[in-house]
Amino acid sequence: MPALIVVSTAFEQAADVQSKALGYDPTIVWVPHPIQDRTDEEMRALADRTFDEIVTRMTASA
Amino acid sequence: MQALPDGLTVVVKRDCPTCVMVEPVLRDLAARGATLTVLTQDDTSFPSGVPTVIDDTGLELSWRLDIETVPTLLRIQNGAETERTVGWHRADWERVAGVAGLGSDLPAQRPGCGSLNTDPSLADELDIRFGRVTFKSRKVEIGEYEDEHEACFERDWTDGLPVVPPTQVRVRRMLEGTLRQPGEVLGAMPPDYQPCTVEKVAVNAVMAGCKPEYMPVLLAAVEAVLDDAFCLHGVIATTMFVGPIVVVNGPVRRALGMNAGVNALGQGNRANSTIGRALQLTIRNVGGGKPGGVDRATLGTPGKVGFCFAEDEEGSCWEPLSVERGVAPGRSAVTLYAGYGVQGVVDQTSRTPESLTRSFAACLRAMYHPKVFPGPDAFVVVSPEHHRIYREAGWTKAQFKSELMALTTVLADDVLAGLDGMTPGVSEKMRGKRIPKLRPDGLNVVRAGGNAGLFSAILPGWSPGSVNSQVTTKEVRD
Amino acid sequence: MTSRILLDPTGEHTAVRRKAAPRPTSLEGLTVGLLDIGKARGDIYLDRVAERLGERGIAVKRYAKPTPSRLASAETRQKMLGEVQAAVIGLAD
Repeated sequence: MPALIVVSTAFEQAADVQSKALGYDPTIVWVPHPIQDRTDEEMRALADRTFDEIVTRMTASA
Repeated sequence: MQALPDGLTVVVKRDCPTCVMVEPVLRDLAARGATLTVLTQDDTSFPSGVPTVIDDTGLELSWRLDIETVPTLLRIQNGAETERTVGWHRADWERVAGVAGLGSDLPAQRPGCGSLNTDPSLADELDIRFGRVTFKSRKVEIGEYEDEHEACFERDWTDGLPVVPPTQVRVRRMLEGTLRQPGEVLGAMPPDYQPCTVEKVAVNAVMAGCKPEYMPVLLAAVEAVLDDAFCLHGVIATTMFVGPIVVVNGPVRRALGMNAGVNALGQGNRANSTIGRALQLTIRNVGGGKPGGVDRATLGTPGKVGFCFAEDEEGSCWEPLSVERGVAPGRSAVTLYAGYGVQGVVDQTSRTPESLTRSFAACLRAMYHPKVFPGPDAFVVVSPEHHRIYREAGWTKAQFKSELMALTTVLADDVLAGLDGMTPGVSEKMRGKRIPKLRPDGLNVVRAGGNAGLFSAILPGWSPGSVNSQVTTKEVRD
Repeated sequence: MTSRILLDPTGEHTAVRRKAAPRPTSLEGLTVGLLDIGKARGDIYLDRVAERLGERGIAVKRYAKPTPSRLASAETRQKMLGEVQAAVIGLAD
């Protein structure tokens, strides 16, 4: 099924290796690193900022 | 590769009685102050009591030194090998090591064992790993968690059936089936017109399940379809049913164990099935012509997975197809024909060649459509039982063919468009004229099939008219 | 290991690509699965994505991996395949 992964930019190289290991090229939406030390507010804002991209890339253009 | 220090190098493996036997000799050499480097191929704890043991379980050093036997004792001077001796031979060891009195309690000599890098099951892998063998084809890495069979499906490399994953070792072994160079270009494969090399054919042959010895036949078949006269682009792109059919003649049939007998046109024989399939996979993968893409066949035919059989030449009084087409008797050849399915000719009661030939002709007239004249080309596959009737009456193949041509020529009035309530048919303008079903070069005859059964087969060809695929024959060469 | 390498049988006209699953033209009427891979803060992110999808009337189902270091279990994957038509996996850090 169509799948999309949200990945922090620090993970860039690892994501490439992972997708090789899994054998597919997933659709990746990048979010800026760091993640671990963000507040809840910041995480929600990140979700808001990337939401449109998620929807766009999960759907095909007509 | 790491350089070996000057002095003595010995290559051993624990799984060698001679190596085990000389373990004390190695300790002795080390104790005497020799600069001794031991490369061990299987067990890093062997030998013991020796200061410098290098782990060569990866076999790279053994491979680069071209070690064939263990133990091998080498003398290294100024970074280069000056001499070596294999197995245990006291006099040779003393000379190479430059010492006396080695292994005095051992027999004077004892042969060694095969070095691990020469193990047939490893040799190809090592040659590839250490770069002696390289390939031009792109390397595709499959994921650690990916199933290699699914990987081939997902990359759209198959004909819908599973394929043998084309690893480098398998392709290497396939290439050993031919003397031709992997880089040799056989032609440009339509519709993408990418170069089709011997190596690409080998990759597809692995996927099809071929054995290396099938390569010469397969290469000849690829050459035949790439001949302009075969019109491969058209054969792929047509909405008609056809696909390439391979007929094999000559001694190679026996050599490969091909089937010209029971179920000759069917499944079950590895050579028949995989050679036909490898040709189709090569066309599809190298050329890019796939169903739904350039291949627009309305219905196609099961034969498009692969269709290859051998002519039954033994016991026939008719010359083989290849000989008829100009190949010297006794030489192997393939003939390619753009054809489709099997139209049965069931005549279990004719006892004369005249009657049987009329049965064949009636079936030929029905090819494509009973009222469409001219029609497609035809390959007639005469079974041994039917052939016997011609042999006993002394009919030559030429006679059979000429009779068929005559009997498949009809009066236009009998097959006019609209006649019998059917729209198709010959134009009114042809009234009074005789019109053939087959074009002059449009009929070929071979013998094949099991010994029981008064059934033969017609393999109808492509559409009639000026755009036509010509039957092409190529000799098989190693 | 050379055995995880295959030689390309094609004319190499195009890049080797695994076909991605076809995308729907719209998420309306579909159920979207959100798979939490277990890294910290990922749940907050996915909560907000779920909220926003909900605002658009798109149904959401939540899944979780036990630890970030393992692949989602076959069971989870099978479940998702049966229950949702699109998946968002996050948050990999």
